[in-house]
Amino acid sequence: MTDITTKSDGYAVETLPGQERYVAPIEETPLQSVDSVDENAPATSMWADAWRTLRRNPLFIISGLLILFIIVVAIAPGLFTKQDPNACDLANSLSPASDGHPFGYDLQGCDVYTRVVYGTRTSLSVGILSTLLVVILGTLIGSVAGFFGGWLDAVLSRITDIFFALPMLLGAIVVLQMFKTSKSIWKIVLVLALFGWVGVARIARSAVMESKNLEFNTASTALGSTPARNLFRHILPNSLAPIIVIGTTSLASYIVAEATLSFLGVGLPTTTVSWGGDISSAQTNLQTDPLVLFYPAAALAITVLAFIMMGDAVKDALDPKSRTA
Amino acid sequence: MTENVNSDLRAMQKEHGPLLEVSHLAIDFTTDTGKAVHAVRDSSFSVYPGQWVAIVGESGSGKSTSAMAVLGLLPGTGHVVGGSIKLDGKEIAGAKQSEFDKLRGTKMGLVPQDPMSNLNPVWRIGTQVKEALKANNMDVAHEKRSSLAKALAAGEAAVQLKGNDDETFLGSKELPELMDAAKKALNAAGVTGEAFDKAVAGFESEWVPGSETRWRVADDLIKAGVASEQAWSIAKKYVLGATMDDRIAGLLSEAGLPDAATRARQYPHEFSGGMRQRALIAIGLACRPDLLIADEPTSALDVTVQKRILDHLRMLTDNLGTAVLFITHDLGLAAERAQHIVVMYKGQVVESGPSLEVLQHPQHPYTKRLVAAAPSLASQRLISAHERGENVDALLEHKVAGEAALDKSEHIITVDHLVREFKLPRKKEMFKAVDDVSFSVKRGTTLAIVGESGSGKSTVANMVLHLLQPTSGKVFYEGRDTSTFNAKDLLNFRRHVQPVFQNPYGSLDPMYSIYRSIEEPLRIHKIGDNKSREKRVRELLDMVEMPQSVMGRYPNELSGGQRQRIAIARAMALDPDVIVCDEAVSALDVLVQDQVLRLLNDLQAEKGLSYLFITHDLAVVRQIADEVVVMQHGRLVEHATTDEVFNNPKMQYTRDLLDAIPGGKLQLGLD
Repeated sequence: MTDITTKSDGYAVETLPGQERYVAPIEETPLQSVDSVDENAPATSMWADAWRTLRRNPLFIISGLLILFIIVVAIAPGLFTKQDPNACDLANSLSPASDGHPFGYDLQGCDVYTRVVYGTRTSLSVGILSTLLVVILGTLIGSVAGFFGGWLDAVLSRITDIFFALPMLLGAIVVLQMFKTSKSIWKIVLVLALFGWVGVARIARSAVMESKNLEFNTASTALGSTPARNLFRHILPNSLAPIIVIGTTSLASYIVAEATLSFLGVGLPTTTVSWGGDISSAQTNLQTDPLVLFYPAAALAITVLAFIMMGDAVKDALDPKSRTA
Repeated sequence: MTENVNSDLRAMQKEHGPLLEVSHLAIDFTTDTGKAVHAVRDSSFSVYPGQWVAIVGESGSGKSTSAMAVLGLLPGTGHVVGGSIKLDGKEIAGAKQSEFDKLRGTKMGLVPQDPMSNLNPVWRIGTQVKEALKANNMDVAHEKRSSLAKALAAGEAAVQLKGNDDETFLGSKELPELMDAAKKALNAAGVTGEAFDKAVAGFESEWVPGSETRWRVADDLIKAGVASEQAWSIAKKYVLGATMDDRIAGLLSEAGLPDAATRARQYPHEFSGGMRQRALIAIGLACRPDLLIADEPTSALDVTVQKRILDHLRMLTDNLGTAVLFITHDLGLAAERAQHIVVMYKGQVVESGPSLEVLQHPQHPYTKRLVAAAPSLASQRLISAHERGENVDALLEHKVAGEAALDKSEHIITVDHLVREFKLPRKKEMFKAVDDVSFSVKRGTTLAIVGESGSGKSTVANMVLHLLQPTSGKVFYEGRDTSTFNAKDLLNFRRHVQPVFQNPYGSLDPMYSIYRSIEEPLRIHKIGDNKSREKRVRELLDMVEMPQSVMGRYPNELSGGQRQRIAIARAMALDPDVIVCDEAVSALDVLVQDQVLRLLNDLQAEKGLSYLFITHDLAVVRQIADEVVVMQHGRLVEHATTDEVFNNPKMQYTRDLLDAIPGGKLQLGLD
């Protein structure tokens, strides 16, 4: 390319109009000390930030109140009804609502309201216990795979893939069939956890792999920290947010899974009061007495909705993308 | 010739008036709570055709925001609330996006800051250039000249432009035939021997398809000795217009990419940072805008690459008559590159004027502060020593406090024939990141390792820190081979050799409060109880001049420089002998960088620390180091005292690095 307008290192010989020397009056922008700390700003950690976001989220307030109420019902059903859910009288079979029995009676002559109240504990405990177990199992497997990498990661990841290929409900039905004679809450929880840890493990693995490569781990190693200390003190706390998010959102799905399994008759023993079981026994009279099915189903739907809303709110608050670096 | 052009240019600029005129511009951002944050207030500046104007300021000063407002690309909730922006006399502040769409590309171009994230990774480079050309319906067969270039060319060039046809591009299809015809014409004109070879070599480098135009080919032929009439007939016969692919390759090669036709078919990940920036320059200039806005175009690049790219951009914009609004945080760079400087601070223009004048006689206290902090100035080390009232000569001879007591062995860290190889994916042979490097750090002094990215300097640092095992060679600490250390020795070594890393955002755990971060080393080494540790943390915060109230805060609340000071406090917690600073100040603004360097200097003088200082910035080296090791491609190319390296560099590579220091040759006056 030929030079046609090469300027010399052309510093201004004369100033062009509008480009005269200008110095702002000092009063207008008073000089501040270099890089001073704003000591008045409120202290924030990631958790404090998340809490502040949560507190302002109506979704969180509504779902929080609902969940609080559900937990109270589960812990102390006696506060809401004085009757025994298993004290049934066939004489009352399918009787409509009456004073003290607002939801009426089911086919066996049990009080529907009382059974709905007592069913809360079952659903909630299955949901919470499964979630806890899933999070512990998934985090353990996922973080070990992510932290150590290499062949251990390869083996664990393939196992994860295999479990990922198994549909949770189908697997649960098959396994629970084997224990048809000895049903219990614990078996359901174990089976749900067995098929549910995969999602958490995947998330935990990628979260650990991400925070493993952050510079503060190298800094910590150079300070004399051991790899195990790094894992527990730095990497895991930094990977917790996505694990908590997936934990809260999946809680609802375990409640649904329990109800489904109980409905199918492979879940809880018939002696345990559960919404799924009640829905199952109410279906025979669906056309004549739909309300008997409606109440436990509504309770289930409200509980699930509350936990899903809570999961969404927590996700909004903890989403790594909305976190300011 | 230049005198002539310069006065022509001035007359033309005066007659035309400013290309861009920003007056009393005010920009607000609205926060979540609905409050307005004044990002830019009452700021005025102008850019004339063909002129380089620099806006200088620290991060958050409003320099980029002002430029984005000119482009109509204010992010998020930002909006212009006052003042005017005139482009070619036409008001564009508050114009609709559809109007901006017409202006962007053809009237205004942008070279963005981060070359890594501004190219789409799934598209070929050529496709991305094509997108710019197509979006603006550019005629790829003919050059579009700026009015300024036309006016000047008509006045000065020997060749008179005869309408649009003379601006026809050379196509790659006709190039071989043109070359043959040119050789024949040269023979016929009696050009032989050396002159012939020189002329042909000249043609081969100048005649780039998609970039060289008909009149330039004719001009080249005439200059080589071919008769005017014949030259024009050859040019007319063989220069018939370029295809889209030719034009893309032409643009890329103008931006300084060698082998552009092949490069155009590659993807961004196959390009280095400098090459990507060149591609972005090609895109920014593809539609021949009158004004190019370059937003920190080279801040992410090595200084030598920065120099090459800016030199090239200067040449290119001068040829095209493009005005450049150059945004940078580096005053030296701004003064070196631009004729007019605008200094911004806290959203306001605090000083503006001709570069050299502003630099030599800064008036506003902020500008004075910037000039004083410019790394290219004389050794900061001497200044801070003067301020403490110490004898500077004593410091230069490394006579630090209590040295006699410290002097167990002269060399505290010795690196002996260090080699580190890495396995590259899909390649058989090993890559030697560090190749036979030896040096030693004397107690109480600073040794700087300088080199560009990829020179292996950080790998050396990691091996010295025992975070990476050398392939061969040894690292000695106080005369002991670190590779023979058992767990207890290693813990002891870690206690005495501490790192400060480059990225102040990454090296502190975001989940840890400042107190926990600084306390961590004390905990790891089981020193003291809770109470004595808290006392120590308070002491350390005082030492790095941070208020004790930050203890309960978290890293995300602090600025980069503040975090770096916290990282230094953490490194100091165990009273180490050696601190390895891996690009510890590279990510900081000039003033903050200056502050951290002073802190490091003062700590060294007080505690007799030894520093291994890794940096790509030779200007910083002058302020802090006693000895310099220059690395290139994993090898040690020069090792000397700082003064010797600066005054009498032995190797060409060192000289290149020195030349690349922005503003290093400018005469600065301090008054």
